[in-house]
Amino acid sequence: MTTTQAPPAVRSLETVELRKSFGGVHAVDGATVTFRPGKINALIGPNGSGKTTFFNCVTGMIKPDSGEVTYQGADITGKAPHRIAAAGVGRSFQLCRIFPRMTVLENMLVGVRPEGLLHRLRGSRNADDIAKARELLRRVGIDHLESSEARDISYGQQKLLELAGVLMTDPETIMLDEPAGGVNPALIGRIGTLVRELNAEGRTFVIVEHNMDMVMSLSDHVVVFDRGRPIAEGTPAEVQGDPRVLEAYLGI
Amino acid sequence: MPSASSTRTGFDTALLGIKGLALVAAGVLVLAFPQLAPDAFILSVGVVIASYAALAVSWNFVGGFTGYISLGHAAYSGLGGYGTALLILEAGWNPWLSLVGSAVAVGVLALPIGFASLRVRGASFVIVSIALVLILLLVSQSWSDVTGGSNGLRVPRPFGEDVLRPEQHERFFYLHVGLIVIALAVWWAIDRSRFGTGLKAIREDEDKAQALGVPTFAYKLTVFVISAFFTALAGGMYALWFGSLDPIFQFSILVGSYMVLMSLLGGIRSLLGPVVGAVIVGYSLEYFKSAYGDTQFHLVALGLLLALVVLFMPDGVLPALGSLVDRIRPDKATSIREMTAAELVEKNKEIDEARREPEEVSR
Amino acid sequence: MSGSLLLQSVILGLLLGGLYALLAAGLTLYFGVMRVVMIAHSAFLILAAYLAWWFQRETGLDPLLSLVVTVPLFFVVGFVMQRLLLARLRPATLTMMSVLLTFAIALTIEGLLGYVFSGTQRRIQLDYSGSSLEVFGANIAVVKLIAFGLAAVALLGLWALMKLTRFGQALRATIQHPEAARLLGINTDRIAGFGFGLGLATAAIGGTALSLDSTIYPSLHWHWIGPLMAIIVIGGLGSIPGAAIAAMLLGVSQSLLQVPLGTTWAQTVFYIALFATLMVRPQGFFGGRLAQRF
Repeated sequence: MTTTQAPPAVRSLETVELRKSFGGVHAVDGATVTFRPGKINALIGPNGSGKTTFFNCVTGMIKPDSGEVTYQGADITGKAPHRIAAAGVGRSFQLCRIFPRMTVLENMLVGVRPEGLLHRLRGSRNADDIAKARELLRRVGIDHLESSEARDISYGQQKLLELAGVLMTDPETIMLDEPAGGVNPALIGRIGTLVRELNAEGRTFVIVEHNMDMVMSLSDHVVVFDRGRPIAEGTPAEVQGDPRVLEAYLGI
Repeated sequence: MPSASSTRTGFDTALLGIKGLALVAAGVLVLAFPQLAPDAFILSVGVVIASYAALAVSWNFVGGFTGYISLGHAAYSGLGGYGTALLILEAGWNPWLSLVGSAVAVGVLALPIGFASLRVRGASFVIVSIALVLILLLVSQSWSDVTGGSNGLRVPRPFGEDVLRPEQHERFFYLHVGLIVIALAVWWAIDRSRFGTGLKAIREDEDKAQALGVPTFAYKLTVFVISAFFTALAGGMYALWFGSLDPIFQFSILVGSYMVLMSLLGGIRSLLGPVVGAVIVGYSLEYFKSAYGDTQFHLVALGLLLALVVLFMPDGVLPALGSLVDRIRPDKATSIREMTAAELVEKNKEIDEARREPEEVSR
Repeated sequence: MSGSLLLQSVILGLLLGGLYALLAAGLTLYFGVMRVVMIAHSAFLILAAYLAWWFQRETGLDPLLSLVVTVPLFFVVGFVMQRLLLARLRPATLTMMSVLLTFAIALTIEGLLGYVFSGTQRRIQLDYSGSSLEVFGANIAVVKLIAFGLAAVALLGLWALMKLTRFGQALRATIQHPEAARLLGINTDRIAGFGFGLGLATAAIGGTALSLDSTIYPSLHWHWIGPLMAIIVIGGLGSIPGAAIAAMLLGVSQSLLQVPLGTTWAQTVFYIALFATLMVRPQGFFGGRLAQRF
């Protein structure tokens, strides 16, 4: 890898009393969460428990009504998404979002950590960036598709492309929204391996996922959401045995 | 696995040759047009079409890169025209200096307008673009001390009165072509830059682009100002050629919609799309005007044509041609992606499953 | 400005504001159900006014009677337009392409009106056209009161429909959260069609009201769409109460400014308010979360 090794952060993503409601519905209702730096954190919870809204509040896509989001100790509450990305938090989207009418390589060149205006005006044939993009494409295994339009590649390949695109910004923390959603088992395994490798390089992960096998085998720390706030957290084993979690999932 | 990108097949080479030849032929035809035109009238039609092309290419800085559709670009061409005329008449500037000065002024004016309309997504932008033309029409008609009101404004010709009309047409034809070439060169340069990649990402998925660190607002604003600048240049150039300005025609919703139709018809994502569209639409417009006069029917025709393009060919003529070529490409099936029938079934299943997943609160 | 003139301006402004409010409610409905900025709204408004004028000229009956035909007709046209044309557009580019499509429809209507009825200015002459009422010393034309009454009744009816019926509930659910509405078993596609029908019905009513005391011509719709779009942005895209409040405020402002500035300059108040709003608060003043994203 040519990408720089991310320095081990002392503090990572934290939220305090985060709230967001739509109309009368409290999608996020006073969520205080501390994600473990350098670890693979998972965020789970039943459908409609506010995980995606929480995700969107943290990454700036939605402005929270109240509460605080900090990253490495700095306040990033309500900052624009591109500023949060520049601070070192990358994210993927539920249902995979790529730029359909751009080539795979162009898709890769969208995301770059900002290095001033001059850098942006330089040609996209900038050799360093292209080399880095190809390296990452090779790493996820879709380098042979670089000149295809992104809408022409398969869904699984699009998921890999999205992950590789996020890596272009050299994020220290990566938030993935359902990386295993709608993907075949072989690819789930591949994505899991990638996450583990990237984590070993020092990157923190926050993963929202429904696939329990993936969550339990991959994560170091699990946060369980219900009705807009965390109800339990701990190691996968701890969480699995927690009666509150069973109640939230099964409604017992 | 073989790399599809690096191997160029014979078919591709032939295609490149045909494209190159067509481009050279078109270039020669354009440059020789003033000599080929049988009379001054045809020549003047050529200038009008060139002016449309300059406007469409300028429009396409915003439309093509960001996908934001402005229906009110006539505001900037009109302001460019009035600015040029007023700088010549009131400030006594040299005509060419006035042209550039007025375009710079319009670019500066576009900053607050873009600031107001680009912070949120598309809908407000469209609304402001139309509102701007309507407000300028009102103002220019009422503020007759400056704009000449409904009587219009006479623009002094930059070439002396001793230059005959066909000669005037010829010079302005080449001037317009020069402007188009410059605008195309800038468009091409942006297309290849990281700035351009960011803009195209905004067009495809603005949220996603921002999540990847693209400062979307700053990007949109920058390209919007560039677009306004070139549109004003095209408007000023037209004013210098035509010699008079009337608010009704300068700040016209119709002129703005011509720019959209031309670019869309040609293909907003391609460099030459707007030019091709301008030639097709411009020629038809002039033909209908001379054959049937100025009836209300051209509105109907314009409306129906626009609706047809939006519904059935939103990608334009050039991309449609491109996919036609792809269909006859001999080695297409294997070169782009290797996908077996089983994989295809798998993919479809994946997509179906993904669709079934109800999307949580996010929009 | 004398007291009675001031009063008269305020009353006229409120009467005009009522019509704006009704039409802006229609625009808001389209935007709510489908995120579509419907440029052809005012073209249909003028079309309805022409139909009322034509009906009166041909039959000699009161133009208000034309509503019996135009309201259901426009409802059906709106439904069909949504189902057959707008629903065909790809969701990814819907906002922009729907603007173009409805713009194209507006041009077509304007052209057809000019073709069929010529560009001549038209005006309905009624027995009560000249009569007016004195309200606190202010002279108010009867036709303006009728027009306002029509708009007010229609708005009230729309409000009742939205708040009190099951259909209205489904419509509001679709506007607020289409995905959730779908999960509840609401056929949001059909509801969107009905929303369009309702929106266009407001144009039918508004057009008839307009025809009572206005001179109409084919390109008149441009004078309406600008102010109406300004109103829905200022009110906050998607908010009907917001649109109504903005409509009333701007109607009165326009009417008051007309006295010192004249009609043309007074119209600029809409655009100035539009720019000011977007500078200060791009999501509008009364809009919910819908407005923040558009």
